[in-house]
Amino acid sequence: MNRDEIPPGTLYLLILKTLARFGQLHGYEIAESIQQTSDDVLQVEEGSLYPALQRMLIRGWVTAKWGVTAGNRRARYYQLTAAGRRQLERELSDFERVMGAIARVIQTA
Amino acid sequence: MEWLSELGRRVAMFFRRGKFRAELEEEMRLHVDLRRQREQERGLREDEAGTAARVRFGNATVLKEKSQAAWGWTWLESLAQDTVYAVRAMLRSPGITAMALLSLALGIGANTAIFSLIDAILLRSLPVRDPGLLFILGDVRAAGISDEFARNDLYAYPVYRQIQKQNQVFTDTAAMFSMNNDVYGYVGGRREQEPMQVQLVSGTYFETLGVKAMLGRVFSDRDDDSEGNHPVAVVSYSWWNRRMGRDPDVLSQTIRIDKTIYSIVGVAPREFFGTKVGDAPDIWIPLSMSAAVPPHWGGYRDYTAESLYIFGRLKPGVTIEEASTNINVVFQQIFHQLLPTFPEGPHQGDNAKILQHRRVPLSPMAKGISGLRRASSQPLHILMAVASLVLLIACANIANLLLARSTARARELAVRQALGAGRLRIVRQLLTESLVLALAGGAMGAASAPYLSRLLLRMVSAGHEFAPVDVSLNTQLLLFALGVTVSTAILFGTVPAVRATRLELTDALKDGRGASTGAARSPLAKALVISQVALALVLLVGSALFLRTLVNLYNVDSGFRKENVLLFSLDESSAGYKPDDSRLPGLHREVQERVSAMPGIVAASYSSWTFGEGSWNCKVFVQGFDNDKTIDVKHNIVGKDYFAVMGIPIVAGRGFVPEDSAASKIRGVIVSRQMAKTMFPAGSPIGRHYGLGNQKSDGQFAVIGVAEDVKFDSLDEPAEDHTIDYYPVDPGAQYFRDFEVRYSGDRDAIASGVQKTIHAIDRNLPITRVETLDQRLADSLSGQRVMAQLCSFFGLLAVFLSSVGIYGLMSYLVARRTNEIGVRMALGARPAHVLGLVMREILALVTAGVAIGIPATLEGERLVTSLLYGLEPTDPSSLLGAMVLLIALSTLAGYLPARRASRVEPATALRCE
Repeated sequence: MNRDEIPPGTLYLLILKTLARFGQLHGYEIAESIQQTSDDVLQVEEGSLYPALQRMLIRGWVTAKWGVTAGNRRARYYQLTAAGRRQLERELSDFERVMGAIARVIQTA
Repeated sequence: MEWLSELGRRVAMFFRRGKFRAELEEEMRLHVDLRRQREQERGLREDEAGTAARVRFGNATVLKEKSQAAWGWTWLESLAQDTVYAVRAMLRSPGITAMALLSLALGIGANTAIFSLIDAILLRSLPVRDPGLLFILGDVRAAGISDEFARNDLYAYPVYRQIQKQNQVFTDTAAMFSMNNDVYGYVGGRREQEPMQVQLVSGTYFETLGVKAMLGRVFSDRDDDSEGNHPVAVVSYSWWNRRMGRDPDVLSQTIRIDKTIYSIVGVAPREFFGTKVGDAPDIWIPLSMSAAVPPHWGGYRDYTAESLYIFGRLKPGVTIEEASTNINVVFQQIFHQLLPTFPEGPHQGDNAKILQHRRVPLSPMAKGISGLRRASSQPLHILMAVASLVLLIACANIANLLLARSTARARELAVRQALGAGRLRIVRQLLTESLVLALAGGAMGAASAPYLSRLLLRMVSAGHEFAPVDVSLNTQLLLFALGVTVSTAILFGTVPAVRATRLELTDALKDGRGASTGAARSPLAKALVISQVALALVLLVGSALFLRTLVNLYNVDSGFRKENVLLFSLDESSAGYKPDDSRLPGLHREVQERVSAMPGIVAASYSSWTFGEGSWNCKVFVQGFDNDKTIDVKHNIVGKDYFAVMGIPIVAGRGFVPEDSAASKIRGVIVSRQMAKTMFPAGSPIGRHYGLGNQKSDGQFAVIGVAEDVKFDSLDEPAEDHTIDYYPVDPGAQYFRDFEVRYSGDRDAIASGVQKTIHAIDRNLPITRVETLDQRLADSLSGQRVMAQLCSFFGLLAVFLSSVGIYGLMSYLVARRTNEIGVRMALGARPAHVLGLVMREILALVTAGVAIGIPATLEGERLVTSLLYGLEPTDPSSLLGAMVLLIALSTLAGYLPARRASRVEPATALRCE
């Protein structure tokens, strides 16, 4: 199985997008869903989610509250805020601009 | 606003950071557990699954640290850690710490104290509305009453009114009397007279300043619109507090001064001390009452009584140039109209000529007006420089201490760096240590500053009373102290901190605790000591100069025989005598006769002036003397025994006799030797005639005698200022503020006896001051004395600190070289040789310091020339003395470690390795 590191700078985007799709998730679920959604191509160093989530908490993009998992264990669930949604829009449009540019460069080549 | 809620989240999290860690850990554990379960489900063995999960998770410790660091409070925690560490390090060497703290406290305390005075006297704006818009006419140097035509600094009341009406640039225009009236009055129903300072002001004074009453009301222009019928007073907060115990009923109280009863209509706000810095009146009374307030200056309608300062508040949008132009136009118009009526001087047309060239400068009044500022600005700045230099020397000492310690700690720091501590982290820790030291010293300094300020206040206050200047600690001052503290910490902390981390790690680790030849050379430490010596030399020479100035002034010949003279200051006006009171001559005669008859009194006399009270001076007119070069003469009206009392020899002609006081057309006068020399250069002055400047007579006064020169107002005045003439007592009424006696026997008994005698004649006549002439002369030097004391204190402190610096450096170097010295001695060097070796090094340091200090000293001397008396600007003996003292002391400081070096046991030294 060929797994790629996620491109630098896109971790926030991935987390934001994942949370936007699924609503409330805890850390492990976020990692799993990124991996599955990308058909196992994108591989997160799973622990690095946590510093990223803390930074997103500080910036107010997500909120966290404790809940209980299916396996009946305490877990911290993250949820997007309004600011988080705005940030997602921004990051998406940035990303598309960059990808579009790269695609154009590649096609002309 | 985004950052604000972010900050809120960070702060909130800081307070539950224990919980934060637990939660983060739990969250991560869950993650790894779930991953392991998943891997097991996919068929891995339990231990394999655990490993796989951990690998995929990454370095949990680092991730935890990163998560925490994101919140940004790790630095706070490490700061707390560093601080605790710093305090422990300080306590480990209490002697050195105490030394460092003491020098810092002194340095910072002195700087703060001096700054508090500079702030209060030189920098602070008046506590009024928009002080920057206030401008005053003239340069505000003169104070008093003048009758010269068209003065541009003092104004008559009617002129004030015209300027107020005609100018187009001030929203409000106000006037104030250029002097305070020192009076005695009765408060409410009290039977005891109390001294009070009255400031006469125009009705517009408070409105122009924008000062509102704290209680009641301030004056309005109506309180000043007709002469003599507005007996109202506004009192200062401080007076209300001091004399009335902040009686809330103050507005129904009255003050009786002389025969007039004033209703108190308001209390000024607490921060408002008036408009003269260092001269705070107790009571303000409208100028319309000026004839009623002793000493009854009057002048409400008199165009020739020039005694007021005029100031105004600029209209919005008017520039200072426009204001100046307009005021000058108005000034010219007013005095043109006055030309025909204003008394002329000796030459017709002089006034017109004067007016042609006269301009009125506008001076900013934002900081108030102050003679104190002019007088104390230079000494304060010099002291500030001196205190800063002392602080620099203290900083150099501490830098050296830290440098030595960080070298001693090189191994510890190297170990820490080797273990991965960032360089920045170590610099930060060392800087924290410096900061803790500086803050402790700064706190002590700030706490001691108010005491030092009181001492300084004594310096700037002339005579024996404190100038009412607010030097209490305030926010600005604390900020200043904090700023100084932090800068010192950076100054003495940075170099050692940076140097400590620039070590070659391997060298330092190999080095062990023994000699490190690389560090022992310490060029930086030596440079610090050399600059200390140089600075100490500058300060020492400075203190020598001020001390010698003081000694010179003490020894200056005042012209008086100053022993056994008692001076009594009287205030006839407050006892209800009018200036032309017919009872005055009788009162004076009786006092003089009865006191003279007392046992122990050698002679007694009145005079209108004695030493150090200011002067009444005007130009005199002598036939044959070039009147374009008229000179100011100081006039003194004296009793016939004045010369006997003060011990002034009559060098030619004769002294006064009772007949000189009789009414006659030509009055016999006595002139000073200096005046005789200037005015009558050829031939004997006896029998020559002259007149006062504005009286076009040449024969009004005839010289009957010449008296030896005396100092009139200050001990450092030059000989040209000794042009004095003495008039005999007039048969008419006049005030004498001074009564003086020459006595033999017990001073205190005489002093109280004379007061009793005076009060037996008039119980109400206030005796405002009793002192000896000796004391008066010494008091006049209080400024120079404090300056000399402080400079000597700072100078000696500087020498002491740099000696400590030399001692510390040499002890350190000797300790570091124990090994080398041991080897030398093992190889046969004698103790004397080792002693010489170390002493040479010390002498080289001191000599280098002195060599650098000499040009700095010469430059510094130029700056203080105007404050010196009787010394050449470059005074070689002060320089030489300071050099000798400095070299002697620093050699002594270096001798102790040198001797220790010479007594090193070779065996011990070698074992040291």
